Amino acid sequence: MSFKDIIVAEFRFVYADVFRRKSILFMFITYPYMLTAFVLLIGYSMGSASVFMERVGIDPAIFFIVAGFTLMAILGVGDDLLWRPLFDEWMGTLPYVMASPVSRIQHYLAIPIPRLILVLISGSTSVVPVLVYYYGLQGLYEGLAIIIMAGLASLMSVTLVMVIMGIVYGMGGENWRIINVLRPLFLILVGAYYPRYLMPLAGRIVSWIIPSSHVIEAIHKMIAGLVSGPIDILMLLGIATALFILYAPPGVKSIIYWEKSKMREGVNV
Amino acid sequence: MKITGVVDLGVAIEARNLKKTYHTKKRKGLFRSETDVVEALRGVSFKVRHGEVVGLLGPNGAGKTTTVKILATLLIPNDGEAYVEGYSVTREAVEVRKRIGLLLTVEKGFYGKLTGRENLEYFGALYGLSSGELRERIDYLMKLLELDKLGAVDKLYEEYSLGMKARLGLARALLKDPPVLLLDEPTLGLDPPSARKIRGLVRELAKQGKAILYTTHNMFEAEIVCDRILLINKGVIVVEGTPQELKAKLPKLRTINILLRNGSPESLKKIVLEAGFKPEVETTSEGLLRVKVSVQNPEDVLGDLVKAIVGKGYDIVTLRISEPTLEDVFIYFSQTGD
Repeated sequence: MSFKDIIVAEFRFVYADVFRRKSILFMFITYPYMLTAFVLLIGYSMGSASVFMERVGIDPAIFFIVAGFTLMAILGVGDDLLWRPLFDEWMGTLPYVMASPVSRIQHYLAIPIPRLILVLISGSTSVVPVLVYYYGLQGLYEGLAIIIMAGLASLMSVTLVMVIMGIVYGMGGENWRIINVLRPLFLILVGAYYPRYLMPLAGRIVSWIIPSSHVIEAIHKMIAGLVSGPIDILMLLGIATALFILYAPPGVKSIIYWEKSKMREGVNV
Repeated sequence: MKITGVVDLGVAIEARNLKKTYHTKKRKGLFRSETDVVEALRGVSFKVRHGEVVGLLGPNGAGKTTTVKILATLLIPNDGEAYVEGYSVTREAVEVRKRIGLLLTVEKGFYGKLTGRENLEYFGALYGLSSGELRERIDYLMKLLELDKLGAVDKLYEEYSLGMKARLGLARALLKDPPVLLLDEPTLGLDPPSARKIRGLVRELAKQGKAILYTTHNMFEAEIVCDRILLINKGVIVVEGTPQELKAKLPKLRTINILLRNGSPESLKKIVLEAGFKPEVETTSEGLLRVKVSVQNPEDVLGDLVKAIVGKGYDIVTLRISEPTLEDVFIYFSQTGD
């Protein structure tokens, strides 16, 4: 069975699921707007947009619409991977998935791809219109570039998420609840809402080991107009890719560890 | 690598001395916990040949599902080994997975927001079937299991009745046309037409040469579906054979049932005991007395028994000699299997 067949199967699963749960589709499209509106309303009650511009260097509306969309993309991928074993266990489908001859690694690599594509398409309803409104045609190019980079940021998180997923589920029992603690920390440390250069040192160090955070930094530099040449962006993408590769072997081991530990304790029916 | 240890080429499933112990932690305080150890299997061995339906019968917690899970590569045994089509379930799990069809519970196991067809397409892709093969196979199975007649093909799984769910579960087990089927209580809770449909299909599949391991609680079902029965209790197989062989293994083979009028149950019991039998006496709702005596050869003792009862003034209404049921076998060996 090819990797393509598994992706096609996952496409069928995700699209049937998403299009029948209209609320999910609605959230895909409106989340960046809702988040931007929410943050700006709170932000303006405490200070002005110019203060934000001064400190962060980006118009808050643009910053938060991009942040909302980028996080949607990263969470789309991360959550699909992190929650899938639990979801399958609740649905009673886990035994049948595990008793299939498909490679577990290929399967878990394929799982986030359909939702990622869906999220990226939905970017054209938030990031692109806002940037076009602000910058005209230049905004369109920038918006498309951000969508591509948000896709990269999501993909770069896959191996790290696999490491976490395998360990947490491999520990068995109710340890999956650890994800509830790690997830919000990840949201902060990835830097989408809270640019890394504003973080305290400890936060910056932890943020640095998250591959996606470097792609997000590249996005921030781009929208702040701080890119002096392609090397600036390529350097950050290079670090992200290196970290992605670095996490790949433990990610694979982690998934195998989870599968073995599940087989030792017995897959619940 | 296919093993050569299995001599009988007709053997599709072979379990050799399977042992499985579960360790479950019980929290006893904030920092203290105790480990409960449950021996689910204590050395289970059996074979299932092609074209054979073998029933795995036993009370709750006997080890039926544990055995099925091990054969389905979903559970690693602590000791022993099992082979499916000659492949080891622990060392060659992927090869085993290519050759088994699995049905673990009929209540769930599919995605609710997908239709029956979409669910089968999803699992078919995971099982390595191409789109063309899948389309053909799904159409065939939908017809075979009459899911098309029930209007279930393009219905969301979350709207399925239990009968439809069971049929879809069997359709998934048959998707890749595997030579080995592991069916764990496939008719549990089903309406009679669905249960009958599934039982008939299982027999048909065995005729086609498939090896089927079938767990059930239903004695009637086991008797009509299974060629051989393995009775499992507390993690060991206590007895095995064809339904007829199992009945023959009961020490008290047949029961004399006599319905009487006149007299009290106490005096009737005393009379039968004095005649040298161990009776069960009860009063029926119609006010009659029923005495049951289990013996190996009723013909040899019937005269003495009747003479003893009639001699004390009881009138016999009916007299019947009944064969033991598989249920008697199940109860007898479940109680004596320790």
